Amino acid sequence: MGSIQSEPNKDRRQFIKNVLKGTITGSLLLVIPAGADIEKIPEQIPGIRGKDWDMSKQNFAFIVDITVCIGCGSCVVADQREYRVPDGYYRTWVERYLKTFDDEIFVDSPDGGLEGYQTPRKDLGKPVRDTFFVPKLCNMCKDPSCVQVCPVGATFRSPDGFVLVDSKRCIGCAYCIQACPYSVRFLHPETRTAEKCTWCYHRVRKGLLPACVNVCPTGARKFGDLNDKNSEVYKILSGPGVLTVLKKDMGNYPSLYYKGLRREVI
Amino acid sequence: MGLSNFVFPNDVHVHWSMMIALYPYITGIVAGAFIVSSLYHVFKVEALKPISRFSLLFALAFLAFATLPLLLHLGRPERNFNIMLTPSASSAMAGFGYIYTLYGVVLVLEILFIYRPTLVELKHQTKGLMKLIYTLLTFASDDLSQRSLDLDHKIIKFLAAIGIPMACVLHGYVGFIFGGVKANPTWSTPLMPVIFLLSACVSGIAGIILVYTLIRAFRHQPIDMDCLRTTTNYLAGFFIIDFAFEMLEVFSHSYLRTWYHHSVNALQMGPLFNSFWVWQVGILSVLPLLLLGYLCLTRVKDSIYRILAPLVGLMLLMQVMFMRWNVVIGGQLMSKSHRGFTVFHPEWFDREGIVAVLIVMSLPLILLFILSKIFPFWLEDEKEPAG
Amino acid sequence: MKSTYYSHVLRIVLGLVVFAAVGGIGKYLLTPKSFGTHGHYRADAIEEEASLEIRQWTNASCMTCHQHEALIHLKGLHRTISCEFCHSAYADHVKDGKNVAAMPVKKDQEIRVLCLRCHNRAIQARPKQVIKTVVMPEHLESQKVKITHICNQCHNVHAPLKYINRAKEIVGIQEKT
Repeated sequence: MGSIQSEPNKDRRQFIKNVLKGTITGSLLLVIPAGADIEKIPEQIPGIRGKDWDMSKQNFAFIVDITVCIGCGSCVVADQREYRVPDGYYRTWVERYLKTFDDEIFVDSPDGGLEGYQTPRKDLGKPVRDTFFVPKLCNMCKDPSCVQVCPVGATFRSPDGFVLVDSKRCIGCAYCIQACPYSVRFLHPETRTAEKCTWCYHRVRKGLLPACVNVCPTGARKFGDLNDKNSEVYKILSGPGVLTVLKKDMGNYPSLYYKGLRREVI
Repeated sequence: MGLSNFVFPNDVHVHWSMMIALYPYITGIVAGAFIVSSLYHVFKVEALKPISRFSLLFALAFLAFATLPLLLHLGRPERNFNIMLTPSASSAMAGFGYIYTLYGVVLVLEILFIYRPTLVELKHQTKGLMKLIYTLLTFASDDLSQRSLDLDHKIIKFLAAIGIPMACVLHGYVGFIFGGVKANPTWSTPLMPVIFLLSACVSGIAGIILVYTLIRAFRHQPIDMDCLRTTTNYLAGFFIIDFAFEMLEVFSHSYLRTWYHHSVNALQMGPLFNSFWVWQVGILSVLPLLLLGYLCLTRVKDSIYRILAPLVGLMLLMQVMFMRWNVVIGGQLMSKSHRGFTVFHPEWFDREGIVAVLIVMSLPLILLFILSKIFPFWLEDEKEPAG
Repeated sequence: MKSTYYSHVLRIVLGLVVFAAVGGIGKYLLTPKSFGTHGHYRADAIEEEASLEIRQWTNASCMTCHQHEALIHLKGLHRTISCEFCHSAYADHVKDGKNVAAMPVKKDQEIRVLCLRCHNRAIQARPKQVIKTVVMPEHLESQKVKITHICNQCHNVHAPLKYINRAKEIVGIQEKT
C-alpha cells in the first residue's frame, strides 16, 4: 500500500493560514489581550489563583514514580528550556540503572538524559537482567544543609517550604554546592552564583505545575498541594503504599518522595 | 564500584580549587608562627627569644594576604562584604570576616606594643618618610617611662594570651568548614578541625625554621643553635601529634568499615594513592619523623643540624600542602553518588591557576622583606631589646 | 600635646572605637531593608523568584490557536505529551499575544529519532503497560513495509493510532470506534 499523507488537505490549509494570518492574529488580540495573561490558561493546581498567597499555609509535595519512568528525558528538556540552563549543568536529570545477572549495578546519565536514552549500553560485556530510570531533582529538604552553610543568607527556605537562591546576594563561594548531599546545585558559569531546581516556584505561584511535571508523558513526576485532599499526591502520601526518600541518614528530611525506589539507588 | 564510573552530572565540576587549598595553608602558617611567638611571650620559653619578634612579623606578612586566595575564588568577589554585613550564624564560613578582622587587630597591636621602644628610638634616628611612618606607628607618643613600659608589658601579655585562642579559632574554623559538611564522607569527621589546627602549627613552625635559617645564612649572620634546637623540638612534638591524628582518622575508619569507609577507601587507594600514601604519608611524614628523631633524640653536630633542620622544615611545609590538597581537592574527586570519581585538572593561567598560586605564595615573602625595613627582625640589631 | 604614659593606649582605643562605629553604621546602611523579615535572608528575593518569566505554557495554551491539531491530539495516545517537547517553548513563539517566530517542526530522520527516543524496546526499562515499544527494523519488517520508512508515514504524530485504527476499520479487521 502507498504511504499515507500525514496531514490531509495540508496545502489548502497552509494557504488559508497564510492569507488569514493577519486576520487570525488580529482576532486573537481581541480574544487574548496584549500582555497575554497567563491567567487565561486553565490552572493546573486547583485553589491557587484568585486568592492571596499565604506563605505560612502552603504545603506542597513532589512524588517521583520510578515504576513508570521511561527515560524519555522530556523533563530534562523542559527544565533546560524554562531556565536556559547552560550545557554541562543540570537542575534535574534522569539516571539509568542496569543490573546484571550477578547483581552488579551500572549507572549512567549521558548529558543528564537530555537526549533521552536512545541506545542501550554496549560497554558492559555481560547480559543485562533489569533496567530502570531514576529522575533526580532538588529534594526541597525541610532541614536543608545548603541553607545551614550559606555564609551570607543567600539561600534560604521560604515560609512556604521552597528552598530558593537569592542570586543578587550570592557571593559564589560554592559552599552550598559542597553541602548538598544530592548534588542538585551548581555554580552558573555566567552569573557565577549558585543555582538549583526550585520546583518551578514561579509557575506554582500562578497555579501551574512545574515544567518537568507538566511534560512528563507517563506521570512519573507528580506535584500537588497537600492541603487539597483530592490531589493525587495527597492520596498517595496518605495511602498505604511505600514511599521513600534518598539518603535518609543525612537527616535533611526531604520533601521529595520516591514511589517504587529500588535499593540500588543512592 | 569497579567498571561503572558514575559521577552525578553536577559532580563533574570541582568547585573548590587550588585557592581553597591555599587559604588554610596561609592561615595555618599564621597560626603556627603566632604559637612560636606565644611560647616565648606567654609560656616563657627563653630559648625562643631570638625569633619571638621575627615570628610575629612572619605571621603578619602572611595574614595580610590571607584574603587574597578567597577573593580569587569567589564567583562574585565584589560582593565579598556580604560576609561582614549579613553573616549567617549557622555557617562556619561566615565567621571569616569578623574572626579575621579581630585577629588582625590583635596581631598588629601586639607587634606595635612589643616594638614600641624600638620604634620610638628609630623615630628619633630617622628623617622624612620613615620618621612619619614611625610617628604613626607609635601613635605620636614618646613616653618610655617605666610606668609606660609596665603598662605595655601587661597589654602585651594580655594580647599574646587572647591571641592564642584567636589564632586557634582563625584556623580551627577552617577545619570546621570541612568537618561540618555531612554530605562529603572524606570531610565530615570531628577530627577535621583538630587535624587542620595541628598541621597549621606544624607549617608555621616549619616555615619559621626554614626562613630563619635561610635569612641568617644569606646575611652571613650566626644562627642561634639553642633557639633552633628548641624550635625543632617543638616542631617534632606538634608533628607527632598531628601525624597521629591524621593516621587515627584513616585507621579508625578502616577498622569500623562503615559505608563511608568503603567509599573513602576507594578514593585513597585509587586516585589519591600517590599523593596521599606515597607523598603525604611516606616521603613527607615518615621520612621527616625519622629525621626529627635523629635530630631531637641524638647528639647532632651543629653543622649537620643547620642543614637538616631547614630540610625537615621544607619537607613538613610540603607535607602540610599535600594534606591540604588531598583534603580539599581530593575530597571533591569522589562523587556523592559513591560510584565514581571525577578528575581535577589544574590550569596554569586561570584565576585559581598554578601561576596565581605561586604569586599569592610569594607576596607574603615580599611583604616580609618590606617589613624588615621598618621593624628590625633581630634583637641584636637594636640598641635596646625589650618585650 | 604632651604624651602621658598611657596616651598611646588611649589613641589606640579611640581608633578602635571609631573603626567599630564606622563599621556598625556601614553595616546598618548597606544591609538590604527586607533582610531578616522572615529569616536570615532578603525577603524580597521570594517575590523576585515568583515573577520570573514563564517560558513554557501548557498544552491548553497551544490549543487556543491550533485547534485542528488539538482535536486530533486530545483523542490519541499522545495526549499526555507536551506540544512544547517537540515544538519548543511557547515563549519563543508568542510574545504579548503575537506570533513572533515559527516553531520547529520535525522532519524525516528527526521524526524517527524522536519516536525511538521513547519507543525503542532495546532500552528495556519501559514497562508494557506504560508504553508500547518496538524493535527496529523488525517492526517495519513485520508490517511488511520498507525498512527505510519513517514512522510518520504510517502513524499520525499527534495521534499515533489514528490512521492505523481507520485503516483497520476500512479493511474490516476492527469495528468502527
